Amino acid sequence: MLLRFLVIFLLFSTVFATPLVAAESRVTGKANLEGSQTDSFDKDFAEAFDRDFLGPNGHQEKLIPDPLEGWNRGVFWFNDKLYFYLVKPVARGYRYTVPKPARTSVKNFFSNLAAPIRVANALLQFKFKDFGNELYRFIVNSTLGIGGLFDPADSIAGIKRRDKDFGLTMGYYGIGHGFYLVLPIVGPSSLRDATGSVVDSFFDPAKYADLGTVEYLGVQTFKTINWLSLDPDTYEGVIRDALDPYLFIRAAYVQRRMAMVGRSDYTVDMLNIFDGTDFDFDIVNPLRWLGI
Amino acid sequence: MKTIIFGGMLLLLLLAPAWGMPEPQQQVEEMVNSVLSVLQKPDLTAAEKRTQVSGMVQKYLNMSSMARRTLGEYWNSASEEQRKKFTDLFVKVLEGTYLNRINDYSGGTVQYLKQRVKGDKAIIDTKFVSADLEIPVQYKMIFENGSWEVFDVVIDGVSLIRNYRSSYGEIIRKDGYDGLFALMEKKVSDMQPTEQPLAPQLNQ
Repeated sequence: MLLRFLVIFLLFSTVFATPLVAAESRVTGKANLEGSQTDSFDKDFAEAFDRDFLGPNGHQEKLIPDPLEGWNRGVFWFNDKLYFYLVKPVARGYRYTVPKPARTSVKNFFSNLAAPIRVANALLQFKFKDFGNELYRFIVNSTLGIGGLFDPADSIAGIKRRDKDFGLTMGYYGIGHGFYLVLPIVGPSSLRDATGSVVDSFFDPAKYADLGTVEYLGVQTFKTINWLSLDPDTYEGVIRDALDPYLFIRAAYVQRRMAMVGRSDYTVDMLNIFDGTDFDFDIVNPLRWLGI
Repeated sequence: MKTIIFGGMLLLLLLAPAWGMPEPQQQVEEMVNSVLSVLQKPDLTAAEKRTQVSGMVQKYLNMSSMARRTLGEYWNSASEEQRKKFTDLFVKVLEGTYLNRINDYSGGTVQYLKQRVKGDKAIIDTKFVSADLEIPVQYKMIFENGSWEVFDVVIDGVSLIRNYRSSYGEIIRKDGYDGLFALMEKKVSDMQPTEQPLAPQLNQ
């Protein structure tokens, strides 16, 4: 009798205690969150609104020096014509002939091939979590993803790709763009980012695949055509809507790169690559992978 | 006992206005849901969707503030007439821009991640999720004239107002206000809906 009472009491006490514990952890969790967020909270608001609301009507916006504007606009014009009269029609034809899953796999393959660039740059920025995630993605996608054709690291384990390149690494250490640069075929870049891509090419396995120049260019062209076949006409939209597409793309490029440098998310205690909930080692369990 | 109940009811009545005031995120959700409900109707033509969405969005946007801060310091040096002309054209360009996006929509939903409010300003973090892509979309809002209104949209780190401001400022520096107005007028007339979509959207 006493035993039975004890059992019932224990059962009830756990039922009643659970919400209490949960509530408590929620409160402390919230307190922690707020404690660490106060700084970034004010900073985020300052970043978001100061440019618009300081001074009578906000600041004048000059995002990047553009001393070579004449040359850049020329290249921009060339790229534009190349896009509309050659590259896009080819990409469109390719889109009709090759089914989408195949094109997505080609895109995944090239993305996976460039993973060493992201791994190396995450390490150079001491972003160990991104380093771990990218390394994990590279290993999982190269093996379970059949040489990178599929992206189970994202589609099953939910680990997203983190874009990293040497231009961003330099930005992370406080090196500015220098000036804006439009490169033939490549498109918007800057002195810093163009230098960065040269450095990155040393981490690119395609460089060591013993390809001749023509073959290498062919591979790059194929990669671009394939990527464009999956793009929902972004460039057309910009051309259609912007007053001056050159200025619009320049501003968008600089803002996007600024957001990607993202220095604010860095803290010194992010040293553990297995930190956080991003990792799910069940991914290496084939039963789980097949949904069993 | 009666007084407690009565007191409670009185308290509820007093609190009601505070509850009734729409939170900034609610405003964004209302706007997004009303637009998505039109876009997701399968039996509407593109032109019909356009007319239904047109005017639906405007009440959630603080157009006058957007126009004013897009010009930034050039707003100060503009005459009253120029300001009015700019605001009119700006509203048309902005509307044309988002109406043109209607054809691009091919499914997807919006997730609301975080709402942060500081005084009369708010930041709403959302994520647009479709089969192929995930795009972080941030709404910057201000509280003016008794309601929360969208002031800027930041898509994947790119702020629309900052983009506009840097472009428009540069055009004014080179070609003056008249040059800017001429470009805007041309853009507005180019943006009028065409019967045929620019590119066939098959098998994307």
